[in-house]
Amino acid sequence: MTSLSVLRVLDLSEGVAGACCTKLLAGFGADVIKIERPGGGDPLRRHGPFPDDLPHPEKGALFLYLNTGKKSITLDIGQRTGALILRRLVEGTEVVVESFPPRWLTELGMGYQSLARLKPRLVMTSVTPFGQDGPYAGFRATNLTAFAAGGQMAVTGEPDREPLKNGGYQAEYQAGLHAFAATAVAAFSADATEVGQHIDLAGVECMATALEPYVSSWAHQRRDIGQRQGNVEPAPAGLTVQDLLEAPQLRARGFFQEIDHPAAGRQTYPGAPFRPEAMPWLAARAPLLGEHNEEIYCGELELSREELVILRAGRVI
Amino acid sequence: MERLPLYGYRILDLTTAGAGPYATRLLADMGAEVIKVEAPNNGGPLRSDTFNHVNRNKYACTMDLGQPRGREPFLRLVTLSDVVIEDYRSQVLEDLSLSYDVLRSAKADIILVSLSSHGRRGPEKDLMADGPDIEALAGLTAISAYLVGGPQKTGVAYGDAVAGIAAAGAVALALWHRRRAGEGQHVDVAGWETMVGLIGEYVVGYSMNGRLPQPLGNRHSSMAPHGCYACVGDDQWVTVAVEDDEQFAALCRAMGRPELAADTRFADVVSRYRNQEDLDGIVGEWTRRFTPQAVTEALQAAGVPAAPVLGVTALFAGPHLRARGFWESVSHPDAGTWDMDGVPWRLSRSPAHIRLPAPRFGEHNDYVLRGLLGLSEGEVQELVAGGIIG
Repeated sequence: MTSLSVLRVLDLSEGVAGACCTKLLAGFGADVIKIERPGGGDPLRRHGPFPDDLPHPEKGALFLYLNTGKKSITLDIGQRTGALILRRLVEGTEVVVESFPPRWLTELGMGYQSLARLKPRLVMTSVTPFGQDGPYAGFRATNLTAFAAGGQMAVTGEPDREPLKNGGYQAEYQAGLHAFAATAVAAFSADATEVGQHIDLAGVECMATALEPYVSSWAHQRRDIGQRQGNVEPAPAGLTVQDLLEAPQLRARGFFQEIDHPAAGRQTYPGAPFRPEAMPWLAARAPLLGEHNEEIYCGELELSREELVILRAGRVI
Repeated sequence: MERLPLYGYRILDLTTAGAGPYATRLLADMGAEVIKVEAPNNGGPLRSDTFNHVNRNKYACTMDLGQPRGREPFLRLVTLSDVVIEDYRSQVLEDLSLSYDVLRSAKADIILVSLSSHGRRGPEKDLMADGPDIEALAGLTAISAYLVGGPQKTGVAYGDAVAGIAAAGAVALALWHRRRAGEGQHVDVAGWETMVGLIGEYVVGYSMNGRLPQPLGNRHSSMAPHGCYACVGDDQWVTVAVEDDEQFAALCRAMGRPELAADTRFADVVSRYRNQEDLDGIVGEWTRRFTPQAVTEALQAAGVPAAPVLGVTALFAGPHLRARGFWESVSHPDAGTWDMDGVPWRLSRSPAHIRLPAPRFGEHNDYVLRGLLGLSEGEVQELVAGGIIG
């Protein structure tokens, strides 16, 4: 058995896509440190559902699910002091995942070029709805607008009604799954060649590659067959979440896992996205906000507790 | 420029449709030498437009794995390869005497990736579901519906794409493991499980409160307005999502209705959420006077998330993907020259492009049989005569 335990990942991302990418890396053993903004932390902490419908930053289902197996430290990389600390962390890091608006990190002096000078084999994955360049690169987006711009919404729903978004955050998850696979490929390559990469992943491009046969038909024959068809037959509603938890096949395969969490308690989570027989899937809980500040700042960067106090007062951590 | 990340790695692809070819497309784009191994004599699957898109950057040879004399060159090819990907029913590889143990006896550290809907183990391992059915199995369909009306499947073979991406990631991890541990492994990719992972928050939420999620149509659990609105023209739509007060005020100004931001029905996030029916009517009345592009430009300039619903023609004609060089011109000896969707993983040090058109049926038999396996003319002719290749 092996795992990705030697792979240190710094996750600067906010939102579903980046979190999905690093969740999967963490599940296969990577040492993922999630860097959260001081104060409220990752905005995903604000999203429900919550136990008993009581909002609490440590109890949101979306955050808990997407951050299994990660560590959390708080750091304001927008401040110069925070940026300097980040640069020290990058020296010991193989992978950085981020989702900021294009050029924001570069303007702070932490673009790929400058981080790669600290760590030539660094893989940096930028996962955004529209990518790092192009006329829409700076567009504000949510899962809904990205799904629309990636071409998948136009073909979903009834022909005589408005196009329909599918359930949950599929535009973002799709981009996150691509980000995971692309990062794994680039990290594998960098591990052997010492050549890093900056990966520019645009959610809309990821979605466009899954638009067969519509894209190929239009591209090759100028035949637009991408009309909404609704459900050709009344679609079976399929399984509900409750059905899933009771499905004999998934139960027999031990797919669902119970994970305990100090604030949210013991809950059921989906398990591995796929099963490499020699690489176990780790079911570890999501971190509390800043839970690993002392471990990382004092243990690794050898800051004193006194220095931590100063950093906290300066709102750096 | 650096070599592509998977340059020098050889993948034997036994898959024909759905998730498998999508997975090997991603890996071929990254520089892997993907060889499609197709059954001889039937011309293979139709060389359709979709085939040509999903199989670019790959090689193709023919071999009849159902015959013992076909297994022999295949197993020799395995000794020269890193990965085998297959999507047969669970017993087929065993029936062909090509189980993972057999492959491993040919090459000790071979990686085998098995793609299926239900997985290689468990009481339902012999059941098969395709892309749309996987969505229904995984609980996505049940939460994809208009507010009024039954559930809807996604308009693309979403389950196939999802399993395909996972399989590509699995290959990278298995190669990683092989370098560390010096051994191959068998990877079980069950598309059903991969897909459940993409609605994981609903599972955790149900675990917390025991309440089944209700479909929201195009709405969101907290943002409003959050919807898809008609525009000028036939089947033209724009999506708008407002995250906070500031964006709502900006939307109101862009609509020429700044007073709405202070309207008691919409003045705060809770009121907006409660009154979003009214809000949708107001936004829709505004959007129907403009094109989706004009609405998008006005709202983006104001800092409000908005985007047109792009159909395939608009996706092609639109400025963004064009400016990013996403569409790449490809020439195919039978199908001509056209623009194909490019490589979605944009690498800075080794930018990947479409290097090869999709292979013709058996196009690389020579390369595989003579070039890789070093067979003599006589041996090749014998295989052809035996119907093993050709």
